[in-house]
Amino acid sequence: MSVIRLQGKHKPMYHALSDCGDHVVIINTRHIAFSGNKWEQKVYSSHSGYPGGLKQVTATQLHLKDPTAVVKLAIYRMLPKNLHRRTMMQRLHLFPEDVIPEDIRNNLVEELAQPRRIPKRLDEYTQEEIDAFPMLWTPPKNYRKM
Amino acid sequence: MAAPSLLRGGWSRLVSGFLGLGGGWARPPARALRQVVEVTEGSTTVIEGKIIEDVKTPTPPNPSGQCPICRWNLKHKYNYEDVLLLSQFIRSDGGMLPRRITGLCLEEHKKVAVCVQMAHRAGLLPNHRPLLPEGHVSKKPKLNRYLTRWSVKSVKPIWKRGPKWCRVPFRVGHPLLMDNINYGQKPVYLNH
Repeated sequence: MSVIRLQGKHKPMYHALSDCGDHVVIINTRHIAFSGNKWEQKVYSSHSGYPGGLKQVTATQLHLKDPTAVVKLAIYRMLPKNLHRRTMMQRLHLFPEDVIPEDIRNNLVEELAQPRRIPKRLDEYTQEEIDAFPMLWTPPKNYRKM
Repeated sequence: MAAPSLLRGGWSRLVSGFLGLGGGWARPPARALRQVVEVTEGSTTVIEGKIIEDVKTPTPPNPSGQCPICRWNLKHKYNYEDVLLLSQFIRSDGGMLPRRITGLCLEEHKKVAVCVQMAHRAGLLPNHRPLLPEGHVSKKPKLNRYLTRWSVKSVKPIWKRGPKWCRVPFRVGHPLLMDNINYGQKPVYLNH
């Protein structure tokens, strides 16, 4: 979603040579969610070029060290692999929490909805909704409820 | 006279209450929960345990089903997010109830168990935690996750994923939930 807007592909006047990408601001990157066990399984590796300079870090460790790095790397790897990529990354602004600098906050134009629906926790349901949901099974007479 | 009859009525009810509760007082109660009702009539106090019979569940749309999920036509329609449904099959410390009590068929029981595990790992059941002894604060980082197939402690990092033609995929979701009805256009991907 943000990759489309950084490239400018959401505009009908898009052309690869015309610099028509938008700025994208992403907040609350600290609270990002991974599907599956990717927090433990995904490994971000980098090599400094020197022998023995391979650094392999799991997504958990990287996220704790820098809360914006996971989102930044994900978007960097989704952008087209050309020289425009660096300028598009300069137009991306990531913030780990809700706190945004004043000048960026005053220039925000559009708020995009979250792509995934966030499920409600059990204590976020109102008592009426919990009561409206019928019991699917009846416990037997001798059953002692824990 | 009114008073002796009332007293005799009260005594018989007290005796029946005693007989009913005698087993409960002597040894730990092995029967269903009862509502305690206390009635004071003059000098007689009657404490009675009444079985609550007023549970009026609406009739399921398919009463001829074998398990509750088939009876309510929910066979391929639930996921880890449907906490209201999943919370009916779990204990207060988060474990699953036995199949012989709930009446689920084996495949549905396994699917519900998998969904309950995923809901626990996603943090959707915060009040169904096992009892910790002291005010023990866990040092694990609280990361948001969803559709986790394996337990967080048991998974090792994939250091080498391999080239594109023989990539080691990230497993997401569970193969048991492959048959779920999907109303979107994208199919359910289990390998990311």
